[in-house]
Parts: sequence; C-alpha cells; structure tokens
Amino acid sequence: MLNYKSSIIEDKKYSGLSIKEISPIMKLNLRGKSRDFLSTIGKNINMILPIEANTSSSSDKYTSMWLSPDEWMIISNNIIDKENNNYEIEELLFNKISKTNLGSVTDVSDQFVLINLEGESVFDILSSGCAFNFNEFMQKKGAVTQTLLAQVDIIIHHKEINNINLFVRRSFSEHLMSWINDAASRL
Amino acid sequence: MFLINCPFCGERDQSEFKAGGEAHIERPKQPTELSDDQWAEYLFMRKNIKGVQFERWNHAHGCRKWFNMVRDTSNDEIKLIYKMGEKPPTE
Repeated sequence: MLNYKSSIIEDKKYSGLSIKEISPIMKLNLRGKSRDFLSTIGKNINMILPIEANTSSSSDKYTSMWLSPDEWMIISNNIIDKENNNYEIEELLFNKISKTNLGSVTDVSDQFVLINLEGESVFDILSSGCAFNFNEFMQKKGAVTQTLLAQVDIIIHHKEINNINLFVRRSFSEHLMSWINDAASRL
Repeated sequence: MFLINCPFCGERDQSEFKAGGEAHIERPKQPTELSDDQWAEYLFMRKNIKGVQFERWNHAHGCRKWFNMVRDTSNDEIKLIYKMGEKPPTE
C-alpha cells in the first residue's frame, strides 16, 4: 500500500448510521471471458467467480464481486500489511492469467477507497442520492451493484444485512464523503 | 427519466446509460473505392426520425457493456433490447 494521506479523516456516527474507511485492503480487477480463465482462477484461489449478475462469492480470505459479464473485482476480507505493495495472490494470478494471455489482472488497491456504512439507515442514505431500486438489494446478502451516488460512480457490496461496503475512486472520495455526511446529518 | 433493462444487469435508471447513436451501420468493405460523398454518407449521415429507431446504448456507469435498443423517439417507449451482434428484428 502506498504511503498516502486519506481524505477521510475521521469515522463518523449518526443515529442509525456509522461511517468508516477500511484501509488498506487489497483490490484486484480481473478481466477475461474464456472457460480456461474461469477454471484457472477457481483452481488458484479456491473460489469460483460468480457468474450470475450482481452477485458475489466469498472464501475465508477473499471476496469476489461480479462487475460485468467479463469483469470481476477480488478484495481481501481483512486489512493487509501497510508497508507492502506486493500481494501473493496478484503475483500468482498475474503469472497464471496475464502471462498466458487468458485475461488480465490489474491491481486497483490504491485506485478505490473502501467506505463501510453500517446501521439501519444505510439504504435511506443511498436512496436519497441514487436512482437504483434497493428493494431487492437490501434483502439479499452478497448482492453487488455498480451505480451512481450523487453523480459519482460507485460499487456497492452488501456485506451483511444493513452493512455495506462502498467502493469509490480515490479522487472522488472526499467529495462523496462530504455528500454522505451532509445527507446523514439531515436523516 | 425512464428505466432501461440492461441485458446484463437488469432494470436500471436512464442516468446510468449513454446513447451511442444509430445501430447496424456497416463499414464499407472497400473504403478506397468509395467517392468522398459515399464515404461521408457512411461516416456522418445518421437517421434522426420521429418514430421507431434502432440505436446503440452503453451501460456506462454499470457493467460498461454495449447493447442495441429499438426505441420510439416520440415517446421514449422501448420496444426491444437485444445484445450486440444479434440480428435486428424485421417487423
């Protein structure tokens, strides 16, 4: 993880909502289409990439999220070493996938900021700045969606009921956090 | 605002999509043999009809996949959505 200053300075708490940044987390972007691609990944990380749209799958160490029919994001479930910028799984997949031209593996750990939102008001906050219909999403643990929140591209992963991981690009994170804080203060 | 049923992600709001112009325009097999007028016809000339139009759309803020849509431009009614590479319906 690079030595950066996070724009999210403190954890916030509101009635029915607590907000914190979780870092550092490893994030990998995988792209590929072929059956070989899917089976190679399955063999090497002991986890089958979700084929069904808007879903995710988890192992004890990693969670993989469906982004598109040929795109996935793998994140580490736990915080990783702060001083280290090399990940075993990235090296392994890079050798097995990228070098054999099965697909591509990109490290996006520093590209995305992970903001964790927890509490019963989570979906009230999201619905106030997002046109996505959360009715089914909020019932379904492990659901994933990419959408716009306050005109900012985000990826939402429904980790536990009323506990979501929100991925936002780093340069938008400060703006999005101030929007969330503003919206939360008026819940 | 209207809802678009992305063939990959399901029903989403229009704000997540970008329109990509007219669909099913084929690149001429031998561009060098065309006159400038014919080339300009292929390159720039697009239908802009009031009524049923074949269009390409991109789910830009979702799965980033392209697909085809048959839309009535007068009332934004979506007649049909089908994936890229599929044959357009003949009505």
